[in-house]
Amino acid sequence: MASVDSNSNEALSLNIMPLLDIFSILILFLLMSFSTDPISHDVNPALELPDSRTIRSLDEIPSLVVTKNDVFVNDKKVSSIINGDIQERDRSQGAIYPLYEALTKLAEANKRITENKKDASTLTLEMDKDHDFKLLKRIMLSAQQAKFIAFKLMAAKSSRAATDE
Amino acid sequence: MSRKRKRKSKHDKEGPITVELNLMPFIDVFSLMTTFLLFSAVFIQIGILEVQVPFLSNAAPPADDKPSRIISVKTDLTKDSIEILTEWSEAPKDPQSYKFNHNDAGIQEMHKKLVEIRMANPDTDKLTFFVDDEIKYEEMTKVLDSIKLLDEADPDMRLPAGKDDDGEEETTHQTRYLYKKVIMGSVLL
Repeated sequence: MASVDSNSNEALSLNIMPLLDIFSILILFLLMSFSTDPISHDVNPALELPDSRTIRSLDEIPSLVVTKNDVFVNDKKVSSIINGDIQERDRSQGAIYPLYEALTKLAEANKRITENKKDASTLTLEMDKDHDFKLLKRIMLSAQQAKFIAFKLMAAKSSRAATDE
Repeated sequence: MSRKRKRKSKHDKEGPITVELNLMPFIDVFSLMTTFLLFSAVFIQIGILEVQVPFLSNAAPPADDKPSRIISVKTDLTKDSIEILTEWSEAPKDPQSYKFNHNDAGIQEMHKKLVEIRMANPDTDKLTFFVDDEIKYEEMTKVLDSIKLLDEADPDMRLPAGKDDDGEEETTHQTRYLYKKVIMGSVLL
């Protein structure tokens, strides 16, 4: 085992070259994976996104988040999900009434702040991959009635995804 | 001259000088950079898939020089199968139907068929997508991927030049979309 003799006057030098090697490799890896996306958004921990080969990157923070158990509009809970579907008291004509109300307010706010009609009628949706399409349909119907006609469905880019346009 | 000689003689006496590079500032910079990059690193790349829902409008249709006889392409995703339906808007309507199994191989076959249809009808970039209620969102996304995006193995499609959704000019060879506009046909009251 190596030991330092306190009586000897030899200068002990630490070999820091392996440390530098590690740092260099780490920096190289981090620089290569450095995101140049316009938006940096942390996925809600209560949901898992589906995979996609999509070539378009996220360009706005999602207004509508559907976790395994809840529906949020701008971080405000509007409804609960029980057994994979919206709780019965919130359902209305195939849609979700509290969600419709929240999205109507959002649509009005969007109209005030943006002149671009297309942006005002587009909704970014972050939704758990295990939900049935029935739930997505209810959400889309609610949004459609609140004058949202285009949707940006968030997905985790798989390794096969091409770079952005 | 005499000074030089003197110095040389001193070196000879003490032996070669060991030069050590001070690496500490270098390590400091590396540490800071690593910390910054680790904090700002995004390990999951997030993308978006754009879809539309059908809507009714009172506005007059835009006056354009598009042909009046256009093909409508529909895809119906059920638990067991995926079906492509095509039909022309004017006679002869020539309705066609192609059915595939709902599995990975079936999705690939469906994609190949859609490529064929798109190549035969490059003017139509719109597809209506019907999905059954019990289909999982993940499954729907997988099929949507195959509908919207071209694979690397797909032939180069010489699509007509035009403007994309953002109003920017799109040239024939730049497109990586198979059907860019996907309408969620099931979302109707």
